[in-house]
Amino acid sequence: MSYTRRDFLKATLGTSTLLSFAPTVPNFLVRSLMAATPRRDDRDTVLVVVQLSGGNDGLNTVVPYGDDEYVRNRPTLRLPPKDLHKIDSLIGFHPRMGAFARLYEEGHLSIVQGVGYPNSDRSHEGAMRIWHTADPEHSSRQTGWLGRTVDSIWDPSSTNAPAVFVGPITQPFGLNAENAVIPSIRSLRNLMTDQMPGYPNDHSQRKRTAKLPRTDKGNPLLGFLQRCTLSTCANDRRIEAVTKASANKVEYPSFQLAATLRTVAQLIRADVGIRIFFTEFGGGGIGGFDNHANQLGNHCALLHQLSESVAAFVCDLKQDKLLDRALMMTFSEFGRTVKENGRRGTDHGAAAPMFLAGGELKGGLIGPHPSLTDLDNGALKFYTDFRRIYATVLDRWLGFDSRIVLGRQFELLDILDS
Amino acid sequence: MTSGYVPTFKREQEPCGKLDANTERESLMVAQSEKPASHNKLRQVHPAVAEKLTDPRWAWAAYQPDARRPWNLALAGHLYRRAAFGASWGQLQQALSDGPQRTVDKLLQPQADTAAFNSVYDEYEASAAGSIDGLRAWWLRRIIQTPHPLLEKMTLFWHSHFATNSVNVNNPRLMLRHVQLLRSQALNSFRDLLQAIPHDPAMLIWLGADANRKGLPNENFTRPLMEAFTLGPGHYTEKDVQEATRAFTGWFVLRGQLRYIPREHDGNVKEILDQKGNFTANDVVRIVLEQPATARTLVRKLYRWLICETEEPNAMLVAPLVESFAKDYNILKLVETMFRSNLFFSALAYRQRIKCPVEFALGIVKALEGVVSTTQLAQDLADLGQNLYNPPTAKGWTGGRHWINSATLVGRHNIALALLRGSGPYADKLNPWVVAKKHGCSTSKSAMQLLLDLFLQSDLDPDVYDAVLKTVEAPAGIGSDEPEGMLRRFAHVVVTLPEFHLA
Repeated sequence: MSYTRRDFLKATLGTSTLLSFAPTVPNFLVRSLMAATPRRDDRDTVLVVVQLSGGNDGLNTVVPYGDDEYVRNRPTLRLPPKDLHKIDSLIGFHPRMGAFARLYEEGHLSIVQGVGYPNSDRSHEGAMRIWHTADPEHSSRQTGWLGRTVDSIWDPSSTNAPAVFVGPITQPFGLNAENAVIPSIRSLRNLMTDQMPGYPNDHSQRKRTAKLPRTDKGNPLLGFLQRCTLSTCANDRRIEAVTKASANKVEYPSFQLAATLRTVAQLIRADVGIRIFFTEFGGGGIGGFDNHANQLGNHCALLHQLSESVAAFVCDLKQDKLLDRALMMTFSEFGRTVKENGRRGTDHGAAAPMFLAGGELKGGLIGPHPSLTDLDNGALKFYTDFRRIYATVLDRWLGFDSRIVLGRQFELLDILDS
Repeated sequence: MTSGYVPTFKREQEPCGKLDANTERESLMVAQSEKPASHNKLRQVHPAVAEKLTDPRWAWAAYQPDARRPWNLALAGHLYRRAAFGASWGQLQQALSDGPQRTVDKLLQPQADTAAFNSVYDEYEASAAGSIDGLRAWWLRRIIQTPHPLLEKMTLFWHSHFATNSVNVNNPRLMLRHVQLLRSQALNSFRDLLQAIPHDPAMLIWLGADANRKGLPNENFTRPLMEAFTLGPGHYTEKDVQEATRAFTGWFVLRGQLRYIPREHDGNVKEILDQKGNFTANDVVRIVLEQPATARTLVRKLYRWLICETEEPNAMLVAPLVESFAKDYNILKLVETMFRSNLFFSALAYRQRIKCPVEFALGIVKALEGVVSTTQLAQDLADLGQNLYNPPTAKGWTGGRHWINSATLVGRHNIALALLRGSGPYADKLNPWVVAKKHGCSTSKSAMQLLLDLFLQSDLDPDVYDAVLKTVEAPAGIGSDEPEGMLRRFAHVVVTLPEFHLA
């Protein structure tokens, strides 16, 4: 078994302890820990982002059933306590999120409560742009936080794409990069070479001709293209192998999100150098979570699909002992108003919970549940700035330097197992 | 009908381009041992030449072929990759017989009526301006059909330099006007182009500079103007940006229309780049154009686009070009100097760029003399990272090695396959066997050699050349008298070689 960079850090420096106190540790020390070798090894960590488009109603997802204000503000939308999967005497998971409740009990799921940012934007486009740029002060910023991440780790000899969008919609802005070309795929096929009909597979031919030495040593581009071509050959074989091996091993429900996460799991298994997967649930644009009227049924279905799909993904990775390499993170552009509107729906709000799932999480609740009376224009106030989570994921999980991406050092959260 | 096809390395012994029309095809079949060994000496710079290349006078002097640096198919292919989007076999042959300078003449100023062609396409585009998808498709179609590909090559260059993204502009008509502005000046005057840019509604909306109030000056246009479009970092101060921004006040885009509101203009004195006065937007552009840094930025950027992206030119080398460009900002003259030069036809330029996705795909299309569905192509190119009308940021496409990773290379492989397979979204518009027959091939073997000449001018290492020729064998059930499928497959092998991605 290979030795990961994080193992090294843990063993030699007690990093996690050190970093959980990052604000009190001199910056140069944090930085030198972060800037450890960029070498990719086959046990590198991966991040899977799930965007919930439309603005998810956090209050009916992680439900503060013990708070009278919840009952009072939600005359038709309130969920009966007996149906909830209770976490403690205050909150519980939505009735259709049994799978998340199980993950939570197993320690594979954390809930960061009350996530947001100052002066929240209440328009879908504006708010989503802020979550994508991670720069609320500069709404016209032209790159996404993950696009900047990819640009920040690029080196001229790298042959694999470190990030990919998996899904049928236009690539979300979060991946917009100044330099890098980040691929969008719908299925594994998009990362595999097609063959001319009637002709056998040409991997070996392609590999042979790409490998032949060139006399044009003075041309650095040619060698680079040769290496990239060889990478495509190797990736073809790896992806082919996992599609054969993992057929029908773990059952995924027949939801679009589940199919997407299954593709992600296969690519993690194939180990083709992708560190960041971006996926989407809700259909993009003003997505499915935007329930201004008759919210109950639709929201029910969405949360059920989310929780079952993620649970299948976790189970799949766990079976192959890959869960300790993966961290999944959900986000939505905003939560919703505390008070339901007159149409059995809710309107655009502010702070909401984020979910993290994976094999190396501390688990449990992070941050207090926001107050239902101390509100910001009818919506919950935030407790944890979302950029602290981005920073934690970049610095502590992926081992990249969050300050290049986010412009400054945000206080890290103590969410990872040590 | 053009003369019969003769493999490159046979032709080497003959005078350039003088091909015998009655050559017996099969007598030219070469044995395996006859390799196209080093038929072009480009890959190694001759020491004497290398020394001269550092001398700007020699580097920018017009290339005249001689025994040591002969004009050949590889250089003709090189010129057509850079000054156009690839060449057909007929164009390569014509270039061989015309010689380099006359070929450059034609690429700079084609004999055909470009203006008439463009006005027809302007009408097509105007009627398709309901959607960006339509505009993207028409632009690609224009690139394929145009008698003046260099004009489109330069329009694409300016599209990346003055990068404006249609998603934010959200108005296809304004985007169309924007690209038409770029095309109208693409080979004319950089001065006129830069004067027009601050008054281009699409550009202002995209940069968030569509409201420039006296009481609320915004740097969204002036900062990129100085940082990206002209001077470059280090050649202006924050104060210059602020003062220039005041000069830009008064300009608005209201409901898609450019407006000047005099009472919103700050009429006080400004000090910009050591000049003092009651400046307006036009003055700022004038002042910026007076700075030598502007010509330097543009010459270097064009150098990377047309000559070489692997090495930055040293200041002494580009100095004569910068000096000349700063005088008149004549783009055509600058581009002409570059294309005619010894440097352009040297190893310092040859294959020292990575094709952008448009160049990659159209290199296949142009060589095979077909017209494919450009609606599909525009989408496929977007998936490779080059979404026309939607450059990723105001800095345009960085390109170079960034175009390539194992995922985009798979994408290129699959698009090439879709173009060549003869069915599917691109239908049967490209047929390598038909093209080879048209140019005098009658066997699959000679057709394969022609395709290697056509796509790569057979400039491959001998081992690679042999290996490629051996890769394709007729699959079971298909006889050798049916070489069409085999040649489709062979063409695909050729255009997915590492060498084909180099421009």
